[in-house]
Amino acid sequence: MEVKLTEDRGRLAERLQGITGENVMLCYQCKKCTLGCPSAYAMKMKPHELMRALQLGLEDPVLWSGTMWICLSCETCNTRCPQDINILKLIDGLRTYYLNRDYYNPVRELPMMHRLFLKLVRRFGRIYELGLVFILNLKMVDPLKDTDMAMPMFLRGKLKFFPHRSEGAKELRKVMSRLEAMEEER
Amino acid sequence: MRYAYFPGCSLSSSASDYDLSLKAVCRALDIELVEVRDWVCCGASSAHATSHLLSVAMPVLSLSHAEEDGFDRLIAPCLACQLRLKAANKEMQEDPEVRERIHRAFDYQYRATVRVYHPLEVMMEEGMMEVIRSRVRKKLSGLKVACYYGCVLTRPPKIAQFDICEDPQSMDSIIRALGGEPLDWSYKTECCGVSMTLTRSDIVLKLSNDILREAKEVGAHAIAVCCPLCQANLDARQIQIEDRYRVQYGIPIIYFTQLMGLAFGAFSKELGLEKLITSPRGALEICGLM
Ligand code: SF4
Ligand code: SF4
Repeated sequence: MEVKLTEDRGRLAERLQGITGENVMLCYQCKKCTLGCPSAYAMKMKPHELMRALQLGLEDPVLWSGTMWICLSCETCNTRCPQDINILKLIDGLRTYYLNRDYYNPVRELPMMHRLFLKLVRRFGRIYELGLVFILNLKMVDPLKDTDMAMPMFLRGKLKFFPHRSEGAKELRKVMSRLEAMEEER
Repeated sequence: MRYAYFPGCSLSSSASDYDLSLKAVCRALDIELVEVRDWVCCGASSAHATSHLLSVAMPVLSLSHAEEDGFDRLIAPCLACQLRLKAANKEMQEDPEVRERIHRAFDYQYRATVRVYHPLEVMMEEGMMEVIRSRVRKKLSGLKVACYYGCVLTRPPKIAQFDICEDPQSMDSIIRALGGEPLDWSYKTECCGVSMTLTRSDIVLKLSNDILREAKEVGAHAIAVCCPLCQANLDARQIQIEDRYRVQYGIPIIYFTQLMGLAFGAFSKELGLEKLITSPRGALEICGLM
């Protein structure tokens, strides 16, 4: 594929640098990130290819690949990158920017999970494991997913039926809404 | 020594065995744990995928409670929690813009004076090894253990600043002090994939299978872990993994604190051993502990 580097195409890299402080142009394609990445095998666009695509401003292929959501946040790539690029931070920048935007996403369940996770934490202050699993499975139209794994946990008292509440939840809600107001200001 | 204790969501529900055994070990080592007042979830992988500020704010809420209550050291036993807490401290210390905005969102102005420790770091403090050795009543003789450290205990080194990044040794040295035999293997810090556990379990099953297979190949009787998420993945999913890859592992996934407790002579009930899904009986019979 032939790609011309225009000013317009540079905007994605600039925007990401604004969010994360990381410069994608420093990548020289050594592939060390991809070679150590545990989920690269499941990515249509591998980490080093993602870096190249970001340099070239190929926004749609980046989004359609789903790479940012397949990443496990394991911190291996940025630990090993000889150019000291924090690749995970860039991926997080992409995630935060696109989390609530509308686009074709092959792994929709990931942003869905993050939104649901935070909704539950906002209410209880802590994560309500069973609630999260139950709602998520319904949303993924896979209601019986992992019941074979849940049963032995249940029998050993490892899964609690009711959510734990933290007294800190009220303070958390206040902080979250203040942060949201600040982010709207920007 | 007195520490603030941040159990995190897992230890207060599904990983009660880690919670029990950690407390038992700390009692034996004269470490006092005081639960952080009204702590909230660290945000795990969802907060930093949502908003950078939120990923700092959620840990800061709990850290500020510890600071307000006069603590300067805090123990967080879950790998995800300890990394989020440490990363938030670093941001608060080094990024004036983040600090200013976080301070605007909170009533209490957190000064980032609470140092965060994973339990393994506490065990590596000066003089601790001698104390541990002196508490051993029953040696784990003959027990071959693959120590699995997981993804983010030593990574990223800029934040973790602990142990050898690609080949950590702290848990190995504890197992040795308990009389067991830590094994040399290459999956110590490979990711088990847990952040996908609810969504893309196919990835989790593959990564966890790789870890179990390697442990089996080097002849491990048990895998020792230091994180509730790794434990849940490798233990509760082991049957699914065996089904999917047509293999037979039966390797118990035991918290290093449970092994310490056993060697210190604690009862298995005190350590939550009966909560493990893959039974540790076979492995513990080898060293005469069951
Ligand atoms: S390791 Fe760094 S320099 Fe090498 S390909 Fe990956 S991002 Fe580029
Ligand atoms: S942080 Fe993400 S991209 Fe980097 S090595 Fe881990 S899974 Fe791969």
